[in-house]
Amino acid sequence: MTITESATHQQVVVKALGRRRRTTELGLLILAVLVICGTYALASLGKSASLPADIVPFLGVIVALPILAHLANRKFAPTSDPLFLPLAALLNGLGYVFIARLDGDLAGLQALWTAVGIFGYIATLIVVRDVRFLQRYRYTFGLIGVLLLIMPLLPGVGRSINGSRIWVSLGPIGFQPGELAKIALAIFFAGYLVDRRELLGVATFRIGRINTPDPKYFAPILVAVGFSLIVMVFEKDLGSALLFFVLFIVMLWVATGRGSYLAVGVLLFSASSYAAWRMFSHVQTRVTIWINPWSDPSGKGFQVIQGAYALAWGGTTGTGPGLGIAGRIPADESDFIFAVIGEELGLLGATAVLCAFLLLAGSGLRVAQRSSDPFSSLLAVGLTTLIAFQAFIIIAGVIRLLPLTGVTLPFVSYGGSSLVANYILLALLIRISDQTARKTPEPLVAR
Amino acid sequence: MNRQIKILGIVIMLCYFAAFLKLNQIQVLQAGAYNDRPENTRAQLRDFNKPRGDIVTAEGEIAATSVVVRSELRYQRAYPEGELFAHVTGYYSFRLGSTGVERVYNAELTGRTPSLQLHELSGFFADQSSEGDVVLTLRGPVQRAARDALGGNNGSVVALDPRTGDIIAMYSNPTYDPNVISANQGEEAVAVKTLLDAAPSKPLLSRAYQERYFPGSTFKIVTAAAGLTSNKVTETTPDYPVVQSYTPPLTTRPIKNFDGNLCGGTLFVILQKSCNSSFAQMAAETLGPDPMIAAAEAAGFNDAPPIDLTRPAISVYPTNFGSLVSTPEGAAPVYEDTPALAQTGIGQNDVAATPLQMALVAAGVANKGRIMVPHVMSEIRARDGAVVGSYADSPWRDSMSPENAEILRRGMISVVTDGTASILALPGFDVGGKTGTAQLGLDPPQSHAWIIAFAGPAGQAPTIAVAVMVQGVDGASGSTGGRVAGPIAKQVLQAALMPG
Repeated sequence: MTITESATHQQVVVKALGRRRRTTELGLLILAVLVICGTYALASLGKSASLPADIVPFLGVIVALPILAHLANRKFAPTSDPLFLPLAALLNGLGYVFIARLDGDLAGLQALWTAVGIFGYIATLIVVRDVRFLQRYRYTFGLIGVLLLIMPLLPGVGRSINGSRIWVSLGPIGFQPGELAKIALAIFFAGYLVDRRELLGVATFRIGRINTPDPKYFAPILVAVGFSLIVMVFEKDLGSALLFFVLFIVMLWVATGRGSYLAVGVLLFSASSYAAWRMFSHVQTRVTIWINPWSDPSGKGFQVIQGAYALAWGGTTGTGPGLGIAGRIPADESDFIFAVIGEELGLLGATAVLCAFLLLAGSGLRVAQRSSDPFSSLLAVGLTTLIAFQAFIIIAGVIRLLPLTGVTLPFVSYGGSSLVANYILLALLIRISDQTARKTPEPLVAR
Repeated sequence: MNRQIKILGIVIMLCYFAAFLKLNQIQVLQAGAYNDRPENTRAQLRDFNKPRGDIVTAEGEIAATSVVVRSELRYQRAYPEGELFAHVTGYYSFRLGSTGVERVYNAELTGRTPSLQLHELSGFFADQSSEGDVVLTLRGPVQRAARDALGGNNGSVVALDPRTGDIIAMYSNPTYDPNVISANQGEEAVAVKTLLDAAPSKPLLSRAYQERYFPGSTFKIVTAAAGLTSNKVTETTPDYPVVQSYTPPLTTRPIKNFDGNLCGGTLFVILQKSCNSSFAQMAAETLGPDPMIAAAEAAGFNDAPPIDLTRPAISVYPTNFGSLVSTPEGAAPVYEDTPALAQTGIGQNDVAATPLQMALVAAGVANKGRIMVPHVMSEIRARDGAVVGSYADSPWRDSMSPENAEILRRGMISVVTDGTASILALPGFDVGGKTGTAQLGLDPPQSHAWIIAFAGPAGQAPTIAVAVMVQGVDGASGSTGGRVAGPIAKQVLQAALMPG
């Protein structure tokens, strides 16, 4: 076989793979849309014993937007993994149904944000044609990430809502720059760690009996992380601080393969958690409420307790969509939407949501594993870590497995910044997946 | 890096598995415990968003129903008859909880009993929900007769079927409108409830079964039963002296007959004239504490009646008369508190009874000594009218032997034919009764006017027993009970026995 023949053969294989993957994606999308439409109709029947009046615009949002994203995949990332978009659409749609069931006005806004998110997704696919583009501007992304993080602290634009200073107002639009900052910093970490991972992985420096890499190699990253953590402590956004720490530790460890980073990270985390607990009353409150929410059932423990009551009330099979007792839990459309889903869809529905996130994480890690390019691989790990652990942190907080720290449930919770950021994140995973499949399609075709 | 990615995948899986386990704990294993926590109002919220069965009278008249309202709570409880059945149905409020039948039969009204759910399943394809209607034993016309007869007086009327324990009428004055308290818009309801709670006349409490009063001379039926049961009193012996007053041992304070009348004789005579001296002497000297306590407790005193309503009061008969002082020949042993014992024999001192309890005393006499469990529920019906459950009548107390009950039955009939309860006479019916005037004080003279009675077609077993108590009326003569309470009892008996 000549070189040209081989290249042509490769092109044919890639094309076939792309066709098959997009067909799979479309099929899964249709399934997701059916599930969402069914839930929407049931929720409306449960609430007012009639089919929803706005079923047509709803179908427009739920069907048209994912189909649009699907068409964008066909055009801009034909060989990407077919699981990402249907899973995101399912979670997004389910979240939309429950937001609509809780508050019709918010549902309208969420539909708008979904549209913005999908356009952000398509725009990202168009702009980022090659992952190396991200690698090239890694320091720019680092700077952007840091700037986005400090923005809420700037006088004039920063806003404090519900005790957390994580909002920025520009004219009539308010958003949380922290959501986008996470992605920018994940790109920066991936780029930086790929540059330095050989050096970071080799122990050249001895402190007593412990071998560690030369401090100067991971000083910048420590500075970046420390800086971000401090900012987030001042912004009182503990959930994001925790997520950020996990992101940093996981990426460092995956890049270098050195367990000592994990150990140091856990140690560092424990120490800083303890310090935060001693220093900040709002951290103490979170821990107290976690250990015994019934110490203040109608005050600080109210939210967690009502969440637990909602879940317990749902039982195994749930009350049915629209038949739960909504409007009892503060922030039930954002941080606590998982409790509402658990009440109305029961253990089965809640477990389905867990599985959806687990599948999303699995797909992301599979992309990371298949990719032969270290930067792509590490970036995929970082982005997957962001989604998987953000979902875990808020779910664990709601069910009192961890202290409650307010972050949104990706794709499900109400919130424009989170939705747009997560769709952009998804687009990056899709881009990496597509690029990886183009380069090495053979093992994928074999299945 | 692939090794690390694999491990990361496993860690994420473990995290999610831990969340899954914790979810199982909350939603399945400990769900019941969470649902039962007192500050968890989800169960009430659910009940207020589901249809709720009606409470209807024996004739099918609606005493309580649910109407659909457009608000956070989908249903609102309504009581078409206002205050008429208030103390039986109780109220059903989201803010203030519930009482009465609404509380006791909540599971039936909301359709959570197995029989109702089974019935719902059997009609799976018919569009019906599982809530049940509670059919009361109460009869609307008799209840209205009780209310009208009581008029503006504070007091209560209890009428029941001695053979089954079915409560036929139970009314108490003053009362309240359960519609107001059950209003979903809670502010006004809370204000009204606060006002009613603070009112000295306690309109929220049913005088029929939640409050107790000196039973006065109606308690002489219990004293007589104690005498008959202990075999120390028969129809012909003893023949108590005809006196103006009786002074028990260990005291110089005499127990006087009403208006200073001369009174005494054998059992039927002293029942007819309601001789205080004779019954005080019977309790103190003929019987002593033990037979008295035994007879009172056999009639239901010192125990809450097992009625299917909330918080029934316990009627009280004292059980401690101090230590033994002497054991005179041919008379009951004398205790430190024998003077008090003498007073209990005529329903004074520490004796306190609910009107329900005194109706049960009459019912015991009417039903061969056997007191049936009093109850207000007769049937539970599904929405389609099918009867899914009915009250199983059962005996509560054997207050005396059938033979002694027969003696007392004739004795009480003689009180109507030849004594203080003559007002109760109804042609064509055998009516027995006993009046009571429980003195509260002589300056000004005030008393609770009582009457207990039973009645049935001539020559047949009595079909109704009644107790009427009118609270704090002016006057304290021997005729007060019959004069004030008698006409009320008569109207109730007429409404029950001669409908239409």
